[in-house]
Order: sequence, then C-alpha cells, then structure tokens
Amino acid sequence: MPNVTVDGTEIEVPEGATVLQACELAGKEIPRFCYHERLSIAGNCRMCLVEVKPGPPKPQASCALPATEGQEIRTDSEMVKKAREGVMEFLLINHPLDCPICDQGGECDLQDQAMAYGRGYTRYDENKRAVTEKYMGPLIKTIMTRCIHCTRCVRFSEEVAGVDEIGALYRGENMQITTYLEQAAEHELSANVIDLCPVGALTSRPYAYEARPWELKKTLSIDVSDAMGSNITLCSRGREVLRVLPRINDEVNEEWITDKARYQVDGLQRRRLDKVFLRKRGKLVEGSWDEAFKAIAKAKPGKSIAAIAGDMVDCETMFAAKALVKASGSDLVESRQTGMDYPTGNLAAVNFNTSFAEIENADAVLIVGSNLRTEAALLNVRIRKAVKRGAKVFVVGPEWETTYPAEFLGDDVSVLGKLPKAVTDAFKDAERPALILGAGGLAAGAYDSALGLVETLGLVKDGWNGFNVVHTAAARMGALMLGFAQDGGIADIAKAKPKLVLALGADEVDWEPFADSLKVYIGHHGDKGAHAADIILPAASYAEKPGSYVNTEGRVQFADKAVFAPGDAREDWTILRALADALKVKVGFDNFAQLRAAMTEEVPALAVEGLADYGSLPKTGKAAKAEGKIAYPIADFYLTNPIARASTTMQRCSAELIHGEDVREAAE
Amino acid sequence: MNFLSKIFTWWNGATIGTMLAAWRGFEHVGTDAQGNKYYRSKKKTGDGRERRWVIYEGSNDASRVPSEWHGWLHGLGEDVPESFLPPARIWETDYTPNATGTDTRYLPQGALEKGGHRARATGDYEAWSPDA
Ligand code: SF4
Ligand code: FES
Repeated sequence: MPNVTVDGTEIEVPEGATVLQACELAGKEIPRFCYHERLSIAGNCRMCLVEVKPGPPKPQASCALPATEGQEIRTDSEMVKKAREGVMEFLLINHPLDCPICDQGGECDLQDQAMAYGRGYTRYDENKRAVTEKYMGPLIKTIMTRCIHCTRCVRFSEEVAGVDEIGALYRGENMQITTYLEQAAEHELSANVIDLCPVGALTSRPYAYEARPWELKKTLSIDVSDAMGSNITLCSRGREVLRVLPRINDEVNEEWITDKARYQVDGLQRRRLDKVFLRKRGKLVEGSWDEAFKAIAKAKPGKSIAAIAGDMVDCETMFAAKALVKASGSDLVESRQTGMDYPTGNLAAVNFNTSFAEIENADAVLIVGSNLRTEAALLNVRIRKAVKRGAKVFVVGPEWETTYPAEFLGDDVSVLGKLPKAVTDAFKDAERPALILGAGGLAAGAYDSALGLVETLGLVKDGWNGFNVVHTAAARMGALMLGFAQDGGIADIAKAKPKLVLALGADEVDWEPFADSLKVYIGHHGDKGAHAADIILPAASYAEKPGSYVNTEGRVQFADKAVFAPGDAREDWTILRALADALKVKVGFDNFAQLRAAMTEEVPALAVEGLADYGSLPKTGKAAKAEGKIAYPIADFYLTNPIARASTTMQRCSAELIHGEDVREAAE
Repeated sequence: MNFLSKIFTWWNGATIGTMLAAWRGFEHVGTDAQGNKYYRSKKKTGDGRERRWVIYEGSNDASRVPSEWHGWLHGLGEDVPESFLPPARIWETDYTPNATGTDTRYLPQGALEKGGHRARATGDYEAWSPDA
C-alpha cells in the first residue's frame, strides 16, 4: 500500500487508488466535474488539477493519476490555485450565465465551484457558443448550451445502464451531447443522468420550473414501485411531493433509482380518494366515516372476515389488518393478489439470499422467469456488473432485451428438469453460482424445481447462498414475514366466502369470486379496487404515512412521512383501529408506537433495520418436475401500480416509450 | 331624524359643532366632484397662515378627498386647485376613494366572491370520482 504525502501530511492509501482519492482520504476537497465514483475515469474536465512530485513540473489531473509510493501532492499551492482558476475560466467561456432561470440553480456543481475556486470576474468578451436543444424523451429536458462535456451522462448509459443511447457528436469546441438520432432515452434508469449532470444541461422535464431546492422539505423514504426497496428522498413543498431523489445506499440501490420511482409521484395528486364512499343501489355515493362504520357493523361479519393486501402497503398496515382479522376469530389474510400459491413456510426459499451487493460477484447466473429490466431494474445493473467480471448468464423465459450477453433457454419451466450442457458446465466450474427465480417463474410453478436445483447446481457453498427469488411487490416480503399468506393463495379465501373482505390497496385482485362479500377498499387511489368496492375508506399513500418495508432480499427499512394525506383520508392503521371498535373487537393498540411494539413482538426481525435472517433453505429431495409456459407479470413498466397509473408523466412515458406514440413536443 | 343624527353621530358630514363653527368663521372656497365642500378660515392664525377644512358630503372618509384638493388642504396654492393646476388630461380617470371594506374592493382570483376559480397551486389534487 503506497504512502503519499498530501499537503505535508503522510497517509497510506489503498492499492490502486488515484491521487484524487488519496487527497480525499487526507480530508482535502478536490473540485471535479467529470470524475464520478461509480463511472469510469474520463479525465476531460481538468478541474481536479493538483501539483504532484515527482513528475512533470505542471499541474496534473488527479482523478486519472494513480497514487504511487513517495508521491508528494500539494492541493494548496499557488500553482494549483491558478490552475483551477484557469480551468474554471475556460469552462465558463461557453457556459451561459442563466443561473436565475436554470433549474439546477442551488444544486449546481459549476455554480458552487465557480464560487469556491473561480476568479470572480470574467475577461472574456467574445460571443459565446450556443447549442441547439436535443430531444431526450419525456423525462429529460435538455439545455445543451449549458453542457460542459464531462461525459458523465454518456458513461452512465454505456456502463451502468448498458444501452448505447447517449453519445457525443463532433469534436473540440463543436462537441455536442445527444441521444443518437435524437430519440427518447428509453431504458428504465434514464433519468439518473439528471442527477449525474453537474450543470443544468440535463434537467428534469416534469419538474421544470417547479421549485428551488432550498424551498423543499426532504424526507427520507423507501420506494414502493418495485421490490428493490430503493432508498429515496421525498422532496415536498406544502402538502405536495414535488420530486424524488435517490439516496446513496451501496447495499441496495447504490446511487440510482428507476424512472418509475422518480416520476410516479405526480400520481399522488391525481385520482385521490379523499372521501368515504358507500355503494347505494349499485352506485358509489359520498358518505361519512360514521355511516361507513355502521354499514360494516351491520353486515355482522363475525368470524367471516378476510384481508387482502396490495403491493404497496407497509408492514404496520398489514399487521393492523391481521390483528383485526385475528381478533375477529379468522385467519384469512393474503397478499399475493394475482393468485400465486407458492409455499411460504420457509422464508429463505422465497428470499433473495445472495443479497444485491454480493450478486455482483456471481460467476454463473440462471434467471428463471424474470424480466429483470422491468421487475428490478437496479438488480439488472448488478447482474451487468457481474457479467463484466466474467459471469455467464442464462435465462429461462420469453426473450427480453438484456443489457449483457445472455443465453435464452426457452420459455417453459420444464427446461429446469433437463438443463443443457452449457448450463451445467458453467455451474460446475462456478465458485459462486446463483439462481434467480422471478415472479413469472413462481406463477408458472417453478418453485419446487428451482429449489431442487439448489442441490444439482450446488448453489449453496460456504459463505454463499445462491438461491434467489425476486418479487415485484414492495409489500411482499413484509407480508410473508407477517404470515400474510394462505397455503392455497387467494383461492383459499375465495373458497371460504367471507362476509367482509378488507382490501388494503389491493388493485390487482380478480373480484369475481367475491361477489357476495362486502368489499371494503382501504386505499389511496381510485383504481380497479375502488371501482369494485362496496365501501371505500380513504387512506394514505407511502408518502403520507410512516411505515416499514421489507425488500426482496429481506432488508427491513423504515420510511418517514413526508406530507399529509388529502381531504378526509387517514393513515391506514387508524382506520383499521377504528374499524375494530365498530366491529367490537380488541386489537390491543391505540397508537402507532403500541402498534409497532406489538408488531415487533410478534416478528422481532421487523424491529431491526437491515437484513433479516431467515435461516437455511428447506431440504428437498429429487428435483420435482414442472411444466408451464412462463409469462412475465409486467406488461408495461411505467404503469404497474395505482400511483403510476394515475401519474401523467408515467402515462406519457408509457404512450411514448412503450406504445411508440409520437407525442414529441416541438423543441422550444 | 336627520337633525337628530347630526347631533348624535359624527360619521356623516359635519357634526353640529363643526357646522356652527363653519357658519361663524369659514369661507366656502369650492366643491369637488363628489360634493365635498372646502372651506378656509376668515381670520389668519397667529403666524399669519390660514386654516383649511373639508366637510364631507356623506361619510367622513379622508380617502374621498381627491388628490388636487388634498394638496390644497395641505397648503398648496392660494386659490382653488383649478386655478393653478393644468386642466385634466383626457386619459385621466375619475378619482376613486379607497374601496377597502366595500363591495368594489379588490378580490384576488379564486376568492369565493369571484366564484372560487384560481390557477393551480402546490398541494392541489384531483379527487377521484366513481363516475370517472
Ligand atoms: S449533458 Fe451534463 S452530464 Fe452530459 S456531458 Fe454535458 S455536462 Fe456532462
Ligand atoms: S475530475 Fe479529473 S479531469 Fe475531470
């Protein structure tokens, strides 16, 4: 490990570190534009110049210079100061001075660094260069005159997203960043370039001119649009969530989030349930809470009560519902809305055991029935990293556009019984083999045969568990931990013909078999569930209540409340608590703290944030034979949940990017 | 009734006392478009200045004095304002008193009296309706 001296203090830096990293370890700030921890090194902005001895007697770009033994680095000399001022001056030559109308204002690297390292005045009085706008789709707004050609966006789409969409045309002063043929950026992570862009060249189109960063209240939250549990910040003003930004969590989402997580929030302002509705003579009419509770009590459900949880509810809500159902003397609770019925007795068998961070080290991956790009786009990024390190990927299921070389083995689960030699060979040599079973695979009944492969492919090794299940619902793992499942899935509940069904934001359920039940929808958006319901009780969305979520790798995470629910809507658990009074049963909690205490007493793992321990995989005998065509559960990435379906941005994305409608705006 | 209200109220025109004083020592100078009457004292004060008054036609509201007469009341000019101010331009509008508290007051867009329609603001949401 080389020892270097930074501004007179000697430190030891890890092997392979750059001079920039060495300076950071020594606590020195190095200004930079093009360098980014998660992207390759480009070294083209020149802002990170430092003085290094031994070496040529000129400032050196620290981000691209490896730290070597005995280097003497100065970041505070006159030469460095002048170099930085010079670079800044060059960058500003062709940068417009439109900060007052620029959306990046207040969070702009160029603004900050011009303040800290710039000269404070300009010596340039020629004409500035101007670049035409480029169309990058419904999410990214471009003002390319502001671009400083750091190429972060280009490197992101090439390296992380794995699609060649953004690139540079021409060279030198005429260089322009654009999507090829000016087509919309289409992949699921495209909007991350907005965060990466150090200036205001790429900004958010739906959020354009909405707010300044300093007006926004920031609330730490968890994304519920997929089961990854991405860490997000909800930026709100008043009672509206204006935008969502990713939070850095190397274990989960690194620094990225999907476009859906980022842009579905404008759905929180539309199609909201803000009043109680009751069905009278076949029509839903407005009512009061009292009326609704009386109507539910009049149905006299007694023991005949069931609860079905949707894909986005938090653990607390499910626990409150389960407590209510249990207090009434029933145990009919289920969260797998679409009718899946895989066994849930052993949670390790339905969990992503390898963990997202570790899967990058896998060297052979078999994906069964999952279109990772739509179901867990950030996991796909990890798999891509594994492939870059040499992993082989095989997929069972209909073909989808992978962002790495992968071999498709057919779309019937029966393939699992007779895997081709290429697969068995790859897995025989693999030290860290992994199997990823998706929701499509689970639905096609691949659960048993996949578990059977644990033995055959040797998925479990010392310190490595390669059996993974990827869910699509943010609520799923939490629900399974709370025992929110029936052996026969939702069919069991339908068979029991409950008098009263509580639908907790359940919008994907087929309500046919429940025609005779009193259906009470507790949720936040008027979607399929609300249309089918007999009584609607308005509740809070994920931004409007505190709650814990468990992601598909079994990571317990806690989200805070950003804003208040609109109109008459209440936090879900308070509704269920009031319902308990109406039904004259005791659930044993009166406030949120008591509810959480009761919940963590029943499931202690929910009390600690971080990975829950599910023990070891169940023992299986011979691999069971299964047959069935795999179909992926997500047809339209942008419209998978009621919030996204209500969001105009997501509707536009779906129309333009999935259905190929030409809704392109004339470039202003 | 009118006579009684003159004795017991002060908010419409001059009170009895002021009327008596005006009758004794005021000289009527002019009347503005709203009918407010302007007076000056017949006698000068100790330092040689004259005093000027307005007696309102209707409610005693200082904002009903138009700007030219406001100037006159504060000592501008010797004679009535018309005598030294340029004639009104055709684009000048009639003087309007302060409308606060009256029906003609300013109402922002979206005030209930204006029908409650306003531009969209942060936090507005669109509620779901079962017919949609
Ligand atoms: S658009 Fe932004 S991120 Fe891309 S090269 Fe220009 S400045 Fe860098
Ligand atoms: S950060 Fe080193 S050259 Fe850009």
